[in-house]
Amino acid sequence: MMNEYDVIIIGGGITGVGTARDCALRGLRTVLVERFDLTNGATGRNHGLLHSGARYAVTDRDSASECIKENRILKRIASNCVERTDGLFITLPEDDPAYQDKLVEACRAAGIKAESIDPAEALRLEPSVNPRLVGAVRVPDASVDPFRLSSANALDAAAHGARILTYHSVTSFIKDGSRVVGVRVKDTRTGEEKEILAAMTVNAAGIWGQGIAAMAGARIRMLPSKGSLLVFGHRVNRMVVNRCRKPANADILVPGDVVCIIGTTSDKVPFEECDDIRVTRQEVTALLDEGCSLVPALANTRILRAYAGVRPLVASDDDPTGRRTSRGIVLLDHESRDGISGFVTITGGKLTNYRLMAQMATDLVCRKLNVDKPCLTAGLPLPGSERRLNPSRADAVAFKAAEGRHGTMVKDMDFSHKSEVLCECEHVTKAEIAYAVKYLDVHNMVDLRRRTRIGMGTCQGTFCIRKVAEALAEELGCPQKAEEFLDQYVRERWKGMAPVCWGDSLREAEYMRKLYRK
Amino acid sequence: MQDKNVSVNNFEQCLKCDICSSVCPMLAANPRYPGPKQAGPDGERYRLKDPAYYDLTLKFCLNCKRCEVACPSGVRIGDIIQTARLKYGRQNRPLRDFVLADTDLTGSLATPLAPVVNRALGCRPVKAVMDRLVGVDSRRTLPSYSGRKFVRWFRESAAHRQLGFRRFVSFFHGCYVNYNFPELGRDFVRIINACGFGVHLLEDERCCGVALISNGFGAQARHQAEINVRSIRKAVSAGEPVVGCSSTCIFTMRDEYDHLLGIDTSDVRDSILLASKWLYDKVESGSVKLVFKSDYHLKVAYHTACHMNKLGWSVYSILLLKMIPGLELIVPEQQCCGIAGTFGFKKENYGYSQEIGKSLFDTLEAISPDIVATDCETCKWQIEMSTDLKVMNPISILAEALDFEKTQKSNIR
Amino acid sequence: MRFDVVIIGGGPAGTGIGLELQRSGLDCLVVSEGLGLEESPRREFVEAGGTLLQGDTVLGGTISEGKVTGVATRNLKGTPIEASCYVLATGRFFSKGLISTMDGIFEPVFGCDVLYDRDSTNWTNPDFYAPQPFEDFGVVTDDQGRVSIGGRTISNLFAAGEVLAGKIGMQTGIERVVNAVLGRK
Repeated sequence: MMNEYDVIIIGGGITGVGTARDCALRGLRTVLVERFDLTNGATGRNHGLLHSGARYAVTDRDSASECIKENRILKRIASNCVERTDGLFITLPEDDPAYQDKLVEACRAAGIKAESIDPAEALRLEPSVNPRLVGAVRVPDASVDPFRLSSANALDAAAHGARILTYHSVTSFIKDGSRVVGVRVKDTRTGEEKEILAAMTVNAAGIWGQGIAAMAGARIRMLPSKGSLLVFGHRVNRMVVNRCRKPANADILVPGDVVCIIGTTSDKVPFEECDDIRVTRQEVTALLDEGCSLVPALANTRILRAYAGVRPLVASDDDPTGRRTSRGIVLLDHESRDGISGFVTITGGKLTNYRLMAQMATDLVCRKLNVDKPCLTAGLPLPGSERRLNPSRADAVAFKAAEGRHGTMVKDMDFSHKSEVLCECEHVTKAEIAYAVKYLDVHNMVDLRRRTRIGMGTCQGTFCIRKVAEALAEELGCPQKAEEFLDQYVRERWKGMAPVCWGDSLREAEYMRKLYRK
Repeated sequence: MQDKNVSVNNFEQCLKCDICSSVCPMLAANPRYPGPKQAGPDGERYRLKDPAYYDLTLKFCLNCKRCEVACPSGVRIGDIIQTARLKYGRQNRPLRDFVLADTDLTGSLATPLAPVVNRALGCRPVKAVMDRLVGVDSRRTLPSYSGRKFVRWFRESAAHRQLGFRRFVSFFHGCYVNYNFPELGRDFVRIINACGFGVHLLEDERCCGVALISNGFGAQARHQAEINVRSIRKAVSAGEPVVGCSSTCIFTMRDEYDHLLGIDTSDVRDSILLASKWLYDKVESGSVKLVFKSDYHLKVAYHTACHMNKLGWSVYSILLLKMIPGLELIVPEQQCCGIAGTFGFKKENYGYSQEIGKSLFDTLEAISPDIVATDCETCKWQIEMSTDLKVMNPISILAEALDFEKTQKSNIR
Repeated sequence: MRFDVVIIGGGPAGTGIGLELQRSGLDCLVVSEGLGLEESPRREFVEAGGTLLQGDTVLGGTISEGKVTGVATRNLKGTPIEASCYVLATGRFFSKGLISTMDGIFEPVFGCDVLYDRDSTNWTNPDFYAPQPFEDFGVVTDDQGRVSIGGRTISNLFAAGEVLAGKIGMQTGIERVVNAVLGRK
């Protein structure tokens, strides 16, 4: 019997959807399975920084060179997800003054354009930086929206024939001797189980790849590292601001859409905690203290929420203690490594390099399948990024905001009928919600938030979520579910609000409780 | 004290309760206006990301500041919107906006020709031309211009009488008193003199600039404001408070100069006062005594102008009017009359303006007072044009009710 | 300006007390920073002859010998405001009756004694729908509703409504203060 698919990709993070796109563009019959929503893991819980590579230049030149190449590619193919902010590395009086020259030198060696500028020029370019700075380096860092980037990859994969199955959890592997021939999956929403067969299976499950590999009979040791971040209420900075020193905690502030994000911390966590990590007060304090030395205005800026992700660091294969992590991208051919054919793992890496990771995984898959097709992902723009847009002054903010989020896809939104703005902080209309439901695989409010920024603004949804829950339930054709949507969403928002509940955030929390407590 | 997460960025204190929208007169009348919350704090986050998010519908904001008075978080919503207009709203503005906004220029040109202008402004063909060419709505009664400017009257007929006083206030007469209604200025001078104070004019007074600000002429407004602040500073350092009769002029100089034009007025702000506040505080502290006629009777409805509401000073005018024996005072709930300075004069806004004011007009007509009292001259025009009621500044009512002779005697030092 | 009672806060507690006292023949001033979420009898209070300062803030008060002797508002600067009794009905965090920072919580008008958990990580419950500890924080009062500052009871300053610590109901709080104020007369 002929299989329905050539390749199964496990994991709906950026690596998974990127690999799905690459496979589909090379003509492979592709299916992606993800147990929750797209970007539920590390992809949706980071800075949203498109590295220039400068951060790695001193310590890891290979990663740095990869980053700058991918940085240039993504600015081209994902123009709607990337904002060309550029970045600064600032040196404060307490920092090692020699590091700046080291950084510039290392950047040059890695092919990254890095220029030393004087403090006055840095302050002119980015008025928010700490005026105590004694030196600065300008680099081509940028900000990237991981939700939009993942969504665009999934859209394009689907447009080229791939199936994207979110809310499908892998329950076991189907094996023929030592060969993986498919997976059993369970639809987590309906409970329905089914088998999917394919010649190749790609494990792109990030930190959860350890469990997936174990299920297939292979051993990968992940070394989960928790990183916490804080979201501020508005954009304090225009450029990415880094600290010019050996990478440490809380030394990057990234402007992302209408907010800015300080991060990160770095702490080893037990693997069992990866599914429910919470930000501690110590981390919040550390982020604030360090953040304020980068950009003092943060001390008086409202914090909207705190969140944390887990970096999928992999223990080196050649280290018997299992403590040392592999650097950069890790591609494992389980046939040669473990004697399990039909199965590969792609992990490690970083958001900036996702396309390259996908290319490497797809190259291996193609080799195994004897397919000889070139990778096209570096040249083809993602959906929404086909051309640059210039919104007109006459357009309503809601239209411009939708255009900012979805680029050229805004053509598929029906503003003539559904122009009512529901989420006012982020200017999200009914039209955008209807579009997301129709095209972007939305099943609940949290999914909808990742596609549209609904409830991600100042009030964290306090003002609008009831209206949104009702509108979403109606679009999905299940009006009885509005209350459940609301409930799930409020709990999810609370998780991020509770760790920073003082000042205006506590005022908002009290308001939210008044409206939604039972 | 740890201050982190306690925002000084005023727009961030918005909790999105939307109370502001419930009091916005424009939102109720015009579905194209996104309302104070969206135009203000919500829009500001996006404009900070990229000025391209500026939205032309912000022009509908009346700058009445009712949103600010209602906001439980102290967000300066109106200021945020006006600042965005000044910052991002540069565009080709019609000649009409400048004619309406530059009240000094228009007033100076009109005053020598007052009889002609008044007849011209009142007659149909001219109004039709204004309507079509200039864009001033022909249904509107335009303010009439006085033949003799207040300043000229003061210099010719009143200045010499000020020489006998030892204590003074500086009078900010404003454009309305100077060009349209010098009688109010004369009432003011009489009352202040009767209280035992002399009146000085400012060394150089320009229009407060409120119309320039709301029409987006920031540079011109700043120029005039700087001249005014310089003159005010001079008066204040000579120990004279600067007192006016128009709530909007006083409000503009106290708050808008600082908030919108970025002019530091912190050293003089507390000395820029409305006549009713100055008088009330003097009477309350016992340093001035007012004696009223015994046979004065009047039924008055006090209309709180929006900027008066923002100043929070209607209480002074109300308590002052309540001092008049024989005066029956009714204070309906605060509503916007819809004129909003020059806004209601524009052809495209006439409909909104009258719709917004309708509820107030009905309320006042139902009270059926002898006189409507208000501290704002544009409210006066709007109410007089839209109802059969006559409107007076509380200072003029006071001048009618005072027994000047006895008051004067009581205040001799 | 002199009143019998100055009430700080124009929400249901403040205007509720104002209305009752005004109807009982006392001359009341209500200072209301903004409009609140809850319905409150503002219009009735004004119609009963009370004075309402809308959009104004009480910046602070003077206290001498365990009594409040006057308050100052932002808008009425230069005009002393005095009364025999004062009522604090400023609400909780939403209406800024209580101000919180990362380290603590205080009452901003008079600096009244506030009951709250000193460990700010305990202010919230991780479950949104569970009772939230911060909703029980507030100023401490005696059985007549009088607040204290630095442990000393202020004899003519009462508190009511959400600014109160613990779970004293809205109506109970209002009645307690109305009775205490009328009892003093």
